[in-house]
Amino acid sequence: MAFNLTRRKFLQTASLAAASVPLSKVVSASTGVTKSALDTTGTAGDKTVVGGICEMCFWRCQLVGKVRDGRLMKLEGNPKSIDNGTAICARGNAGVKLLYDVDRLKYPMKNVGKRGAPKWKRISWKEALDECGSKLKGTVDQYGAQGICVFPHGASAKYPMHYFERAVGTHNVSEASFFQCRGIRDTAYVQTIGKAPGEKVDMPNTKVLFFIGDHLGENVHVSHIKQYIQGLQNGAKLIVADPRFSASAAKADIWVQIKPGTDTAYMLAIMNYLVQNNKYDKAFVEDYTDGFEEFAAAIKEWTLEKAAKECDIPAEQIKEVADMLADNAPNVAIHPGRHVSWHGNDFQRERSLACLTGLLGAYYVKGGWVPPKGPKVGGVSWAKEDHGHEFDLNMNHHEDEKIYPFNPPGTPTDLIRDCAISGKPYPIKSCVVWGQNPMQTIPNQQKMKDLFNAMDFVMCVDVMPTDVTAWADILLPEASYLERYDYIKKGTQWDLSKEHQQYISARMPLVEPMFERKDQIYICNEIAKRMGHEAKIPVKTIEEMVDKSLATANLSIEKLRAEDGIHIRPGKDPYGVPEDFEVRLFNDDIEDAGYPGAPTYVAVPDNPKGFARLLYGRAPVHTFNRSQNNVWLNNAMPDNPVWVNDEVAATLGLIDGDTVGFINDEGVESATTTTVKVTAGIRKDCVYMYHGYGSANPLMTIGVGAGVDDTSLITRLAIDPETGCHGMRNNFVKLTKNGKVLDIPA
Amino acid sequence: MQYGMIIDLERCVGCHACTIACRAEWEVPVPYQRNWVKRLGPTMTADGMASTYYPGLCNHCDKPPCVDECPADAVDMTFTDAKSGKTKTMQVAATWKDPFDGSVQVDKDRCLGCGACADACPYGARYVNPELADDDSEGKVDKCTFCKPRVEQGLEPACVQTCIAGARIFGDLTDPNSAVSQYVKKGAKGLEVKDGHIGPNARYYGKKRDIGLLFADYTPELADMGSVKRRAMMASMVKPAMRKAKDIGLLGLAGAMLVKGLSEDKDNK
Repeated sequence: MAFNLTRRKFLQTASLAAASVPLSKVVSASTGVTKSALDTTGTAGDKTVVGGICEMCFWRCQLVGKVRDGRLMKLEGNPKSIDNGTAICARGNAGVKLLYDVDRLKYPMKNVGKRGAPKWKRISWKEALDECGSKLKGTVDQYGAQGICVFPHGASAKYPMHYFERAVGTHNVSEASFFQCRGIRDTAYVQTIGKAPGEKVDMPNTKVLFFIGDHLGENVHVSHIKQYIQGLQNGAKLIVADPRFSASAAKADIWVQIKPGTDTAYMLAIMNYLVQNNKYDKAFVEDYTDGFEEFAAAIKEWTLEKAAKECDIPAEQIKEVADMLADNAPNVAIHPGRHVSWHGNDFQRERSLACLTGLLGAYYVKGGWVPPKGPKVGGVSWAKEDHGHEFDLNMNHHEDEKIYPFNPPGTPTDLIRDCAISGKPYPIKSCVVWGQNPMQTIPNQQKMKDLFNAMDFVMCVDVMPTDVTAWADILLPEASYLERYDYIKKGTQWDLSKEHQQYISARMPLVEPMFERKDQIYICNEIAKRMGHEAKIPVKTIEEMVDKSLATANLSIEKLRAEDGIHIRPGKDPYGVPEDFEVRLFNDDIEDAGYPGAPTYVAVPDNPKGFARLLYGRAPVHTFNRSQNNVWLNNAMPDNPVWVNDEVAATLGLIDGDTVGFINDEGVESATTTTVKVTAGIRKDCVYMYHGYGSANPLMTIGVGAGVDDTSLITRLAIDPETGCHGMRNNFVKLTKNGKVLDIPA
Repeated sequence: MQYGMIIDLERCVGCHACTIACRAEWEVPVPYQRNWVKRLGPTMTADGMASTYYPGLCNHCDKPPCVDECPADAVDMTFTDAKSGKTKTMQVAATWKDPFDGSVQVDKDRCLGCGACADACPYGARYVNPELADDDSEGKVDKCTFCKPRVEQGLEPACVQTCIAGARIFGDLTDPNSAVSQYVKKGAKGLEVKDGHIGPNARYYGKKRDIGLLFADYTPELADMGSVKRRAMMASMVKPAMRKAKDIGLLGLAGAMLVKGLSEDKDNK
């Protein structure tokens, strides 16, 4: 049945096909009111299929599917969930439109045109896999394993990523979730408290929420939003530092309209004020921190006045914030953030967030940073092998030390790109893209294109024809998260003050894959066989992988299904500081590596005359660039209006709804236009737009050209020196209207 | 009894889960909608910088201006109170206000698709669904039913069930102990029309600056009833015989042939 068949036409067809069955009215038993056959039936009577784990974003809520005649009609939160409950967000609800998107990849394809300007020819799986296997093996044979680079993202990319890292043996793997997102946060906290922080702030039970740039509400993760709203309902104060009156700022008690890039100066002033005025938690500092004296000395220059000038905010407001935190310590939630790759000075900002939490004694206490005690489930994947560091691009072999000493897992993106484009220090000749869209996640699209053009072979695996797929030689269609097993989702009840519980769930298919879509285990194993690694294959099927993982927790797919998709058991109290816990306020290792041992502010370049800084963030209906072709989500927010300060707009003669394009400070113009949102809620020195719009691939018939691709305007390669991650808010733009370039007034 | 919906703007984060869940539940085709979320501001108000949301839906008004405008022939319809079993028979056109639960409903079989009710609604809460077009209509009117078929089965409305912030609360406004009534006591209020009183039953609660912004931007005016009535009158003059045939409830082959015959009969005149 065609999916665009209208209900009316369906009814007509059905009634003509079965003339003896008249479409009668349905009479409700309880109210006696008749219901027309023209009314949709709703999904309450549909078959409920359990075991769904969402991946419209990477929070991964637990789902059930409502299935009618083999077709998934609706997704709902699994009522058994102690995380998201029955709630799922707009994207989660729109998953059915990804599943049945007519633009989805259906068959293996070979590019018989050019990279970047493809002509697609349908080929068999055998031909596609033979091609991938022989080309990748050819690269390894000629150039070594390091001749392959990998850009993975998402649950389906984990197994193939491990294959290429562990069995094949290349270091050249760059995950956007680390190098263009949260990697800096994780390594900065590892260097401060010994572990990655997640977003594990006990928001429901806090007295003060402190956000730097976090824009919860526009950034939506269901149980996280539940925690946030519960905290506010319980009376928590909210402090939001953001150049823009964000969704969170709109709920804030204090909005700090900070100058972009200066956040660390702001943090240092708060901490210095606490130290100078003896408003920090002396007992906690005594018991659980290291390097306080050196730390205090290093930040001493950051008076309220100095920071006020640097951050362009009132000194009195910095004091008000610091006092509010001190007065409510230790029950304060200093949010570590999520997407933190902003300016290339971000490791230090994340360090300062971790240190501030320590000064306030806000670790492992009610309302502070508290990691829930979740269940343990073992993973099953390719066996780890030591491939040495000879071809690790992040090693300075002369000095025998790392170039970016605190990099997250993988190799910093531009080390890979530079090597691939220049051929130095060695050739990289094949590229595997699995679930990532580097064209819209990694800054400087030209450099990405240069990488692809330098390759002998490029393969992409995805569900949608994203922008990067246009650069593939072979394009493989993957089963979506609704059609396959894989991810094990585990955790605890969302509010730590409630009965302690743990849950374990695993992704199970809600419907069968259509067309010739295959899961990642099949695809990866078939390539591995062709590359000579058959003996190392750890699991034959995706079910086997999930079952083996679950077995480590005495569970199985069968048992989970019998428990409606979620296993729940008693949990543990997460509060209480572990004895060996330590906050390294001053960190010798960082100093030894040649970087400041105490959190330090590094100023970023100021606006060139006539330009505004380009800021971007999340739309609540989109995840990165992944959902732009979803017809329901596109309809909810069809473009990404650029926020322009009202006074700036008045000077430029711009009104709400005007159509504009962009040119950045390196001369790159936007390929498309968007509309103007005139608002008092943004600083004059910056403009803002949602990320994840303006696809350049005409095969994305809904998303192509809808709004502006902010990534296309992010060309300057600001690299965080400690981590090698990108900073992506160091480009500046002018607006263009009717071919005229508009200078932003100073 | 009067069903009502509270929208708590202190909780709402403007995420659109409600609108998309409604689409999935009731197969509402793009670009139409039974409910919506609009973002307001940020803008400077008398109470400071403000930004909030307008999550809207059919208000199932006390005096719904849409119902009176329906030009379909009235028929006797017997309603039963789900709780007490009491019945009440009323003459209704193709849209009515339920005498027991206060919801406003549509009979798509008798709907002419003229759109008069949609024009009459000051909130824009109705649309004509062109996917349901047939020989004598451009479509059928569709709107929020307060998820009546779900509620009758003891389920929450789809938008309430999926709300990630607990910002939508559904219940009986005439029950003083209901959660919705508690909100009304706290000050939740409907977006009443300017210079009129139709009694909207979606009620908004929030910070003063946010409620101020919402009411300043989205207080509706009553429609120009002159044009609504003209549209309704035109619709009522077209193809009455066909509508009668369809009222029999036969859409099978025999019914289709009967309709076709009547239609040709009319065309020959």
